[in-house]
Amino acid sequence: MEPVIELKGITKQFPAVLANDHIDMSIRKKEVFAIVGENGAGKTTLMNIIYGLYQPDSGKILIRGKETRINGPHQAIAEGIGMVHQHFMLVPVLTVAENIVLGIEPTKAGLVMDMDRARKEVAEFSQKYGMPIDPDARVEYLPVGMQQRVEIIKALFRGAEILILDEPTAVLTPLEREGLFLTINALIEQGKTVIFISHKLNEVMAIADRIAVLRGGRVMGVVDSKETSEAQLARMMVGRDVVLDIAKNPQKLGELVLEVQDLRAKNERGLDAVKGISFHLRRGEILGIAGVEGNGQTELIRVLTGMAKAESGKVLVNRKEMTGATVKSLRRAGIAHIPQDRLRTGLILPFNISENIVLGMHAEPPFARGIVQQRAEVNRFAKEKEDEFDVRPRDITVKAKSLSGGNQQKVIIAREVSSGPEVMIAAQPTRGLDIGATEFVHRKLLEERDKGKAVLLQSLELEEILSLSDRVMVMYGGEIVGCFETKTTNEDELAHYMLGLKRQEHVKA
Amino acid sequence: MFQQILIAALFSMLQFGTPILIAGLGGVISENSGVVNLALEGIMRMGGFFAVVGAYYTGNPWLGLALGIGMGAVMGLLAAWVTVSWRGDQVVYGVAVNVFALGGMTYLLQLFFNTTGHSPPVSSFSSGVVISPTFAQGLLVFLVVGLTYAVVSWSMARMKRSNAKKTLILTAVIGLPLGIAFSFFAPAREVVFGAFNKQTIFVYFALILPFLLHFLLYQTKWGLRIRAVGENPKAADTLGINIYVIRYACVILSYVFGAIAGASMSIGQLDIFDNHMPAGKGFIALAAMIFGKWKPLGTLAAVLFFTLAGVAGDLIQGLSTTYPVLASIPRGWLNAFPYMLTLLALAGFVGRAVPPAADGIPYEKGEK
Repeated sequence: MEPVIELKGITKQFPAVLANDHIDMSIRKKEVFAIVGENGAGKTTLMNIIYGLYQPDSGKILIRGKETRINGPHQAIAEGIGMVHQHFMLVPVLTVAENIVLGIEPTKAGLVMDMDRARKEVAEFSQKYGMPIDPDARVEYLPVGMQQRVEIIKALFRGAEILILDEPTAVLTPLEREGLFLTINALIEQGKTVIFISHKLNEVMAIADRIAVLRGGRVMGVVDSKETSEAQLARMMVGRDVVLDIAKNPQKLGELVLEVQDLRAKNERGLDAVKGISFHLRRGEILGIAGVEGNGQTELIRVLTGMAKAESGKVLVNRKEMTGATVKSLRRAGIAHIPQDRLRTGLILPFNISENIVLGMHAEPPFARGIVQQRAEVNRFAKEKEDEFDVRPRDITVKAKSLSGGNQQKVIIAREVSSGPEVMIAAQPTRGLDIGATEFVHRKLLEERDKGKAVLLQSLELEEILSLSDRVMVMYGGEIVGCFETKTTNEDELAHYMLGLKRQEHVKA
Repeated sequence: MFQQILIAALFSMLQFGTPILIAGLGGVISENSGVVNLALEGIMRMGGFFAVVGAYYTGNPWLGLALGIGMGAVMGLLAAWVTVSWRGDQVVYGVAVNVFALGGMTYLLQLFFNTTGHSPPVSSFSSGVVISPTFAQGLLVFLVVGLTYAVVSWSMARMKRSNAKKTLILTAVIGLPLGIAFSFFAPAREVVFGAFNKQTIFVYFALILPFLLHFLLYQTKWGLRIRAVGENPKAADTLGINIYVIRYACVILSYVFGAIAGASMSIGQLDIFDNHMPAGKGFIALAAMIFGKWKPLGTLAAVLFFTLAGVAGDLIQGLSTTYPVLASIPRGWLNAFPYMLTLLALAGFVGRAVPPAADGIPYEKGEK
C-alpha cells in the first residue's frame, strides 16, 4: 500500500519542551494507524501539525507523495484531512445539520440557507457510512457518542480521506466505544484512512493495524498490532517495565466503617437517580462500583460526600448517623473524596499547588491560627507532599491549571490521603490519565487499603475495578443489581449485569 | 371616546417603543456574535447629538441622520478594535463609553450651542409622515401578518419544531386571511390610521427591523455563522470561519443601530437634543434584549410588553375621568409598573434567559 501521509524529521520546539523531535512516520492508505504515548509525549502536537494548527520548526510533510505545507485547518481540510478533537468542536444550540454544513452552507441565491438540501445531504452521508443520525436534533441534547458521530460526519462531509481521531474513546461508554469501532471499520472499508490517538493499549490493540509509540517527542518504534503485546507497548511507552496486573497483598478485613441503608436520591434534573441502595464497607477493603455511565453512580457519590441531599435512607459512618450532614462534617468524620471531575470539583485551577494541597484543612491548625493563614507552614507541608507524591514540577507556586492531568490528580490524592480519612471515595480516579499516572493512582489506593482504610472505587473501566477491588457491586438504573467477590467473577459476567440483562434478587452489598 | 384614548395610547406606545426597539436589536446583533454591548445608552446619546449637529449645520435631517450613523460606525469600529482585536473587557468598555458620552455630550452641547439645557431646534423628521387610509389598511395587514409570524415561529420553537418553510406557510394560512378580515373592519382601520398618522420614519424602520434581523440570523448563512461564533468561536474557527470579520461587522452594526435609536429621539420625536437624552432608554433596551432572550422577535415582544405597560398608565389616567375609582391609583405606581413586571417575568415566569455561550468572552486564536 502506498503511503498517504509521510512525516520526515518533524521537529517542534516549545519554550519549555521539545514536543516533537525528528519524527518520521509513514501512514498507509486504508489502515488504522494508532499513535500511543503518555500524556506529554507529543501526540497532540504532532496531530496539530498535520492539521495545520501549528507549524513545524523543521521537517517535511508529504501528502500522497507530494510535499505540502499546511498553513491552517482550512488547508488541511482541502487536502482531505479531517480531525475529531478530543473536546468536540460543536455548537451545542445548533442542530446536527447546521453544525455539519457550517462554513460550507448550501444556499439559495448565495445567501439564504437551503436547509432542506442540508438536511438531505446530511441524511445521505450518515446512511452511506452507516452512522444514522437525526439531522434536526439539537446537538446539546445528544449523548456524547452521538456528538462524536456528528464530528465524524462533519469531517467526512468536507471530503476527509484521512481522519484523525484524538483520544476518541476518552468520553465514551463501553457500548459507545463498540459503536465507534464499528464505524471505524466501516470507514476503512470505504477506503478512508484513520489515525487513532490514544493511551489505552487494549483499545489500540483491538482496532489498529499498526501502532507508533511516542515517548518524549520521539518515535520509539512502529509495530504491527498482530506482532506485539500490551506489555511490550507499555514498556516502549514508559521506558521501563510496567506492572499492568497489580499484585495485591492479602486482605486484612477490619470493622464496619460505612453503612448505607435504602438510600434514595434525585439527580440535578429532579428525576429519581438512586433508588433504594444498601451496602456496607469495612476497613481494609476496596469496594468497586461498576456500571455504565449515568446509572446513578454520580448521584450516589454526591450524596455520600455531602454534595447532594438524599431523599430518604440512612448513611452511617463508624455507626454514627451522618445522613444529610454537610461536606465539612463528613470530612471531619473521615470521608475523603477524589472527585470525578478534577477540573471543576477537585481543584481550584487558578490557585497554586500549595493552596490546593491544603484546601479543606486550610482553616485549621497548623495551617491557620485564628483567621490568619500560616503561609510558611502551608508551604512546608506542600513541599513535603510534593516529594511524597511525586508531583511535577517540584514547584509549589505553579498554578493547578498548568499541571498535566496526572499531576493534577496527584495533588488531589496528596490532599485527600493526608486528610487522614477512614473512607476514601474515589470516582473515576484514573479518567484521562496515562499509564504511568494510572499506575500511581492504583498503587496509592491499594496502599490506603493495606493501611486499613476503606475504599469505595467507582469506575467505568471494568478492568480497573476487577484488578483493584475486593468486592464489586454493579449499578443499573439507580439500583444495585449484583454484588460479587472479585475473585469469583469476570468481565463477561459483570457486563451482563451492567447492561441490565441479569440481576440478583434483593442485593445487599 | 374609548377609541380616541386607544389611539392616543398606541401613538405614544409607538413613540416610546421605537428607540428602545432599535437599540435593543443593536444589542441582539452584537451579543449573538459574542460581544456584550453595554454602551447602548451612551451610543444613543452620541448618535442623537451628532444627528442634531449634522441637521443644524446642513439644514437637512437626512444629512443629520447620516452624521449620527457615521458617528455610530466610527465608535463601533473603535469598540471592535478594543474588545475584539485587543480583547479588552467588554463590560468595562461599555461602561466607559456610557460615562464618556454623558460628560462628553454635555461638553459638546456647551461648545456647539453654548448651553447646558438643549440645542436650538433643527430641521427634523418630527412632523412625521402623513399617511392615507389605504396605506393604513395595508399597514394593518402587515401588522397582523407580522404578529402571526412572530407567534407561529415562537410556538414552533417551543415545540422544538422550528422549520422556516412551515412557519411561512402557517403564517400565510392564518395571518393573511386574518389580516385582510381585520382590514375591512372600520374601527380597526381607524385606530391604525390614528396611531400611525404623522409618526416618524423611524417607527416604520423599527417595525421592519426585527423581521429583517430574524431573517438574517435564522435564515441566512451569515446568521448561522454569527450564531456559531457567539456560541463556540473555536468550533467556527476550525471550520475556516473568520471570527474577527464577523464580530467586527456585528459590533459596528450594533453601534449604528444604537446611533439610529438616538437620532430617532433627537431628530425624530423632537427637533432638539436635550441634555437628558436618552434618559435610560439604552438600559431599558438592554433589559428588553435579555427579556427577549437575545432574539429579534423576542426583543420585539419584550418592547411591546414594556411599552404596553408604560402606556397603561396613560390609558388608566385617561379613563379615570369616566371611572373615578381609577384616579385613586398613585401615578408613581403606574410608572413603575413595567419595571416591576419585568422583574417578575425575569424572576421565573418566562424561564431562564440564557445568553449565547461565548457572549462576553474575547476570542484568542490558538489558545488552548
